[in-house]
Amino acid sequence: MGGNAASPAYSAQVAPYSFVPKVFAAQQALARAIQAEQRLIQAIATQEGGLSRRHKDCLFRTVASAWQNDCCRAIDPGTSSNQSENDSALVAFAQKLARYAPWFSRRDVEALKAAGFDDPAVLEAVQTIALSQMLCTLAYALCPDAEWQPASGIPPASPSFAANLEYTETLGPYLQTRVAPASGFRVGALFREHFGFVPNIFAEQMLRPDVVEAEAEALEQILIAEDVLSRIRKENILLAISAANGNTYFVAVHGQMLSVLGVSAEHSDQVVQGEYPPDMSAADVALLNEVRKLALPAAVSPGKFDPGALQAHGFTEVQIVEAVTMAALTNFLNTLQFGLGAAPDFPPRRIFSPKDLHRSAAPSRLTFDETRPEDADVPFVARVQNGDRDAFEDLVRRHSRRVFSTLAGILGGTDDARDATQEVFLKAFENISKFEGRSKFSTWLISVAINTGTDLLRQRRPSESLDEVADDEGFRPRQIQSWAENPEQLLAASERNDLVREAVLRLPPKYRVAVLLRDINQLSTEQAAAALGLSIPALKARLLRGRLMLRESLAPHFIRTENRSSNAQLR
Amino acid sequence: MLSCAEFLAEFGDYLDGAAGPELRAKLEAHLNECKACQVIVDSTRKTIRIVTDSDSFTLPADKVEPIVTDVMARIRQKRL
Repeated sequence: MGGNAASPAYSAQVAPYSFVPKVFAAQQALARAIQAEQRLIQAIATQEGGLSRRHKDCLFRTVASAWQNDCCRAIDPGTSSNQSENDSALVAFAQKLARYAPWFSRRDVEALKAAGFDDPAVLEAVQTIALSQMLCTLAYALCPDAEWQPASGIPPASPSFAANLEYTETLGPYLQTRVAPASGFRVGALFREHFGFVPNIFAEQMLRPDVVEAEAEALEQILIAEDVLSRIRKENILLAISAANGNTYFVAVHGQMLSVLGVSAEHSDQVVQGEYPPDMSAADVALLNEVRKLALPAAVSPGKFDPGALQAHGFTEVQIVEAVTMAALTNFLNTLQFGLGAAPDFPPRRIFSPKDLHRSAAPSRLTFDETRPEDADVPFVARVQNGDRDAFEDLVRRHSRRVFSTLAGILGGTDDARDATQEVFLKAFENISKFEGRSKFSTWLISVAINTGTDLLRQRRPSESLDEVADDEGFRPRQIQSWAENPEQLLAASERNDLVREAVLRLPPKYRVAVLLRDINQLSTEQAAAALGLSIPALKARLLRGRLMLRESLAPHFIRTENRSSNAQLR
Repeated sequence: MLSCAEFLAEFGDYLDGAAGPELRAKLEAHLNECKACQVIVDSTRKTIRIVTDSDSFTLPADKVEPIVTDVMARIRQKRL
């Protein structure tokens, strides 16, 4: 994005927080967006309420380090070298919310309150972090200039942060103080006009009605204005990025918004899944594929944002700026929700957990582990290795579902799998001194699970092992009839689950485990091969065979009814 | 031109979007001519989608904490 120097007015506006005004210069084709952003900055960053400016600077710096983006880091090196305990609680809070928003929970809010921050301060902290995410999104997409390469000395995640990294499903809202809007509160009508109600995410912030007003203006100027991109396109951006971020609330609310605008729920579901509806234009597909790359740092990015790809589909500069601004606003809103735990205003069609982050990263099937900046388990493992047994609890909680599903897939029975899951964790605890960090801890743990599961299987059925299978040479697809366009719709979810379960359990073990690790547990090819002690080509060959065998089992349930008699022929 | 057997031995990376340009071109040349392999690619993709999205082997959320509690109780009883 080209752009002239920022106007003096913008520089004055943002100077107190050292935002590089180039972010605004790059958006100058869209003055209404800059105006809305500055209003948010004024309400959130420059007002001192529950948090001091020094605290807010500290939050900005922490978020910027999560983006590895120096653009909106406040330049105040003195602060970080003089942190109080109170600051480290704030930094840990910001690191969790900025870097790992989908894992954020009530516990994080309680930890900050235990450090002496009250509800108004927590609310301001969440709003400040959300604003920083918005500015970092803009800077990342619009100002990739070399001058903003990550500065040296960006702090890594602190130990206190690492101690809080776990996923527990906790219900919000997290703040206890709740106030009704004052009688003169003027944006209630605006929400009702555009949404039909006041969404919970805004009701949760009524301790700061001035901020809610600034947010309402941002919605009007960025989402609702239709002079550049249509409202539906922007709602789709909001939906696609919220799905990439794993934000249940915004997927539910804006799926509903789209249905009010006449878009079918099935259409929105496809956008959420990253599998675009057949009637969607190539330009719209390109738009959503590109903006998904601007999701929060915790999401799996399918690559670097490329405005050139949008220009190639005929998008103009101002349209691209608006798409990026809409992405930034989405990250702002999603962060507010992750931080405040606002409950969805509508029953969600889909509830996300961190497990889903990889699924929305279409079209590539990157897994969560491949893009994590570091092995997040390592600090916990080190603590356990140093004798802190309690640190093992976090590892159990984080990995129990993956270990369980591996064992359930090997053993079949749920009760057996639950017992075996406990055995796996006990073995891992006993052997943790042998874990040297050559692989990810999760890979090592899964290999313990596979060994435990196959030992149990061998005791039960001596003829079955991972390496010896019934003769499957000469396997050749037999079912060659076209499947229904949306086969999922032919069976209820519970029937599909039963069908998949039976089909997976019928696979010979060596193919079954490959499918379990790659397609059910979503390990990368490299991780799955490492966990099984196989070469990558060997793993790929087993996976392909397993998938083809599964296809064969599932086909009778999913072929098009009109095609039941016509089988194409292999040559 | 690949035979169907050769195609079926090679198309794993293609399914995962990981085939290099040369392999992809070879596979697509075959696909353009072969209805049967088109059906197999399409239905295998749908198989992967159905399997990936199923909850056939998922530990229900309310069963996580009992496992954590039991494991930690057993670990805390252990003598170092």
